[in-house]
Amino acid sequence: MFLRSIASRLSLWVLAGSVSVLAVAGGVLFYRVSHQILEQAHGEATALASEAGNRIEQRLARVADTTQTLAAVIAPRPDDAEEMLRHALERNADLSGLAAAFVPMAGNPSVSPFLSREEDGSLNSRDLRKDDSPYWEKNWFLAGLSCSQGCWQRHFYSQSRKRELINYSVAISRGGHPVGLINADVSLDWLSRILQELAKPQGAYAFVLDDSGRYLVHDNPALIGQRAHADLLQVASQHEASRIRLAVAQNPQAKGRPVWIYFTPIEGTRWRFGLVMPEAAIYAGARQAFVRVLALGLLASLALAVITLAVTRRILAPLGTLTSHAEQVARGALSFELPPARFPDEVGRLTQAFDRMRTELALHIAELTRNAREQQRLASELDIAHQIQTALLPGEHYLDAHCENFELHALLRPARAVGGDLYSYFMLNERRFCVMVGDVSDKGIPAALFMARTITLAKALAPRARTPQHLLSMLNTELCRNNDSCMFVSLLCGILDTFTGELVMASAGHEPPVLCDGDGARLIELDTGAALGLDEEASYPSRALRLQPDQTLLLYTDGITEATDTRQAMFGPERMLACLESASPGTAADLASGLLAAVDRFAEGAGQADDITVLALSWHHALDDGNAPMLDLTIKASMDDVFETLDRCDASLHAQGVAPDVRDDVRLVLEELMVNMVEHGRTLERGNTIDLHMRLGDDAVLVELHHNGHPFDPLQAPLPPLTGDLADQEEVGGLGIHLVRAMASELSYSHDEQGNHLQLRFLHPARTESSS
Amino acid sequence: MTLTLSTQSESPERTTVHVHGRLDAQTFGEFDLAMLDLLPRVADGGTMVLDLSALEYISSAGLRSIAKIRKSMRARVGHTLLLNPQPQVRKVFEIVKAVPVNEVFANAQELDAYLDHMQRQITGDGIEAD
Repeated sequence: MFLRSIASRLSLWVLAGSVSVLAVAGGVLFYRVSHQILEQAHGEATALASEAGNRIEQRLARVADTTQTLAAVIAPRPDDAEEMLRHALERNADLSGLAAAFVPMAGNPSVSPFLSREEDGSLNSRDLRKDDSPYWEKNWFLAGLSCSQGCWQRHFYSQSRKRELINYSVAISRGGHPVGLINADVSLDWLSRILQELAKPQGAYAFVLDDSGRYLVHDNPALIGQRAHADLLQVASQHEASRIRLAVAQNPQAKGRPVWIYFTPIEGTRWRFGLVMPEAAIYAGARQAFVRVLALGLLASLALAVITLAVTRRILAPLGTLTSHAEQVARGALSFELPPARFPDEVGRLTQAFDRMRTELALHIAELTRNAREQQRLASELDIAHQIQTALLPGEHYLDAHCENFELHALLRPARAVGGDLYSYFMLNERRFCVMVGDVSDKGIPAALFMARTITLAKALAPRARTPQHLLSMLNTELCRNNDSCMFVSLLCGILDTFTGELVMASAGHEPPVLCDGDGARLIELDTGAALGLDEEASYPSRALRLQPDQTLLLYTDGITEATDTRQAMFGPERMLACLESASPGTAADLASGLLAAVDRFAEGAGQADDITVLALSWHHALDDGNAPMLDLTIKASMDDVFETLDRCDASLHAQGVAPDVRDDVRLVLEELMVNMVEHGRTLERGNTIDLHMRLGDDAVLVELHHNGHPFDPLQAPLPPLTGDLADQEEVGGLGIHLVRAMASELSYSHDEQGNHLQLRFLHPARTESSS
Repeated sequence: MTLTLSTQSESPERTTVHVHGRLDAQTFGEFDLAMLDLLPRVADGGTMVLDLSALEYISSAGLRSIAKIRKSMRARVGHTLLLNPQPQVRKVFEIVKAVPVNEVFANAQELDAYLDHMQRQITGDGIEAD
């Protein structure tokens, strides 16, 4: 919580930074200064050691002087020795005992006096001659005799006086020969006292090494008599003053820390005085000073941090207000009071900018809201457009209700709300079923409008079209009209004979259809004309195909084959065929939705780029219901055949229970038409043929006539002059056609390269039972 | 046989032909031939009665044959009267307005009455002319 404020973080960083600078600078300084400190400490300690050495020297020199004087004085008057010894002992408190020992020989006194100072200060005297063991045979005496100039003997422990002593011996010479010696005793306690009385720095201690390298005296009594460290001895062997650093002190009092030892020789002896300074003590002062400076620095840094905190807080205070206002802005509230900008600094500029931003934001939001409303309106319009476009398409599924001969399933999915793909299907009459799939160039609203135009025109023109190629031509002419935007539509159109499965197709630049059955799936290659809307003169070749039971014809748009995946690879006809092959045989719905699902899987993640349409038309060939054709005949165009056919028709209708008047109507119409064909329609040498298909609907008799003769449209024939009496005219013509037109409930005519096609319908409201 | 004819000549002035079956493109030739044979035997100014009671069916070819008979009779100042056409035939006649309504009779009595009336008119005319 605390660290979320910039001021706190800044002051913390200031604190941390200054402390680390302080520590580094102090460390460097300490490192640089420590060398000098050490040099200085060496100088001081060496001087101190020399001074201490000198003082010990002086005290020892007095002992030596006294002894030498006594030796000189006693030599001529050996009998007064005791008196002089007593006198000297009383005057020199440093001495603990004096002895005048003479070689037992003629001319020497018979007593060898020895005076010693007792604990209470009184002087005790005895004669060495009377000792049990003769002193003249002892080492100290024999060694002392050779010291005419005086010398310090080895220290020893006096059994009689219970303390460590050192002797200074000077030989008494008479006539150039030593006749005895003066021996002065100095106790080591005395020497220790001298050491302790020395002015030593805190923590330092001193010692004296004898000539054999053992501690003669030491501030730590435990070490007295022990042998000194080897390094120490090596350095100590030099004559002048010297120093050594021991990484680990020998003295347990130094607790194993490093120490510096300063040596100085004691003149007149072969002893060496040593002063021991712990290294810690040398640096102690500097370290203490450093710690103090550091503490002071820390305090200063702390104060700096507090000041930084206060100043930053004060400067950034408006920023906090701005922050809370910005949160308000995020929630959508734009009207609030901003703190006044106190200085034209960054914060002041920010405040002004924030104010401007708020104003601009309000404007933008208003603009956005307007845009959003506009978008919403557009979206809802598109939605409605989508619904309208969907309404233009017939239902997805179509099952031939009359005879269940075929089944159709269509799927259309626009890439956007509306699209340019289209499909349509409708019955042209009782028998012929028209189906089409198309794809308008481009996408979106223009394509959708063009699609609407196309599908509406197709529906309007289809009843007048005799064949798919005719329908395409008519559509093309209509679509070329005023097509300044050069939109075009590719269209595949088929007309299916729902009785026979005969399918005639024509393509205007559209993808070839796929035929699926038990043998697999294959493309039906067909010649195509130009896409609709481009070339007014375009013509469209047709292709006929007879669907076999359980075959499915698949029409689609390029949204299938040109679907791309994330690696820009196209779905392609091969994948489509493979997919259909694996799904075949299946129902129309299975094939169509299976293919669409495969395309979706393929293009997953890439998004749909183009409108997709799939239309599957399955041929079942279920001819077994009541609407089956009663008659399917192909006859020679001759009178005999015509009348035989008329009889068969009559008989069939009779068998189906069609009322006699309707039967007569049918007969009359068929006779008129067929006789006409026989008499006027001949084109071929070997004779023409007439196809007749008749079947019975629920409320009508349906007849189709096809004749491969001269074109003749009975609907266009002129009305004969009906004066009320046929006998009035010279030649009576056109009566038959007039009768046909009057009798047939519906009549349609078409003509193509295969000839004339007539479709007739006769109503028979109440079909009587065939029992009559 | 889809068409049969039987002729009954009550008098030189009046000949009745009973038509049975269908008169269509197949049979009209036969009918025409038969009539060609029969017509000269009818006296000028006589009456040809076509009894259509048994005619089941007629097509435009039959209409043309009947028109031919009527023309031929008219040329000889005769009359052609149609008796009792069946519904299909009457319907066809009505559609093409084949014959004047007053020359079609539903039964023999109507026809006889008409013929008597005609006879008196002719006689009367003769008296006036003399």
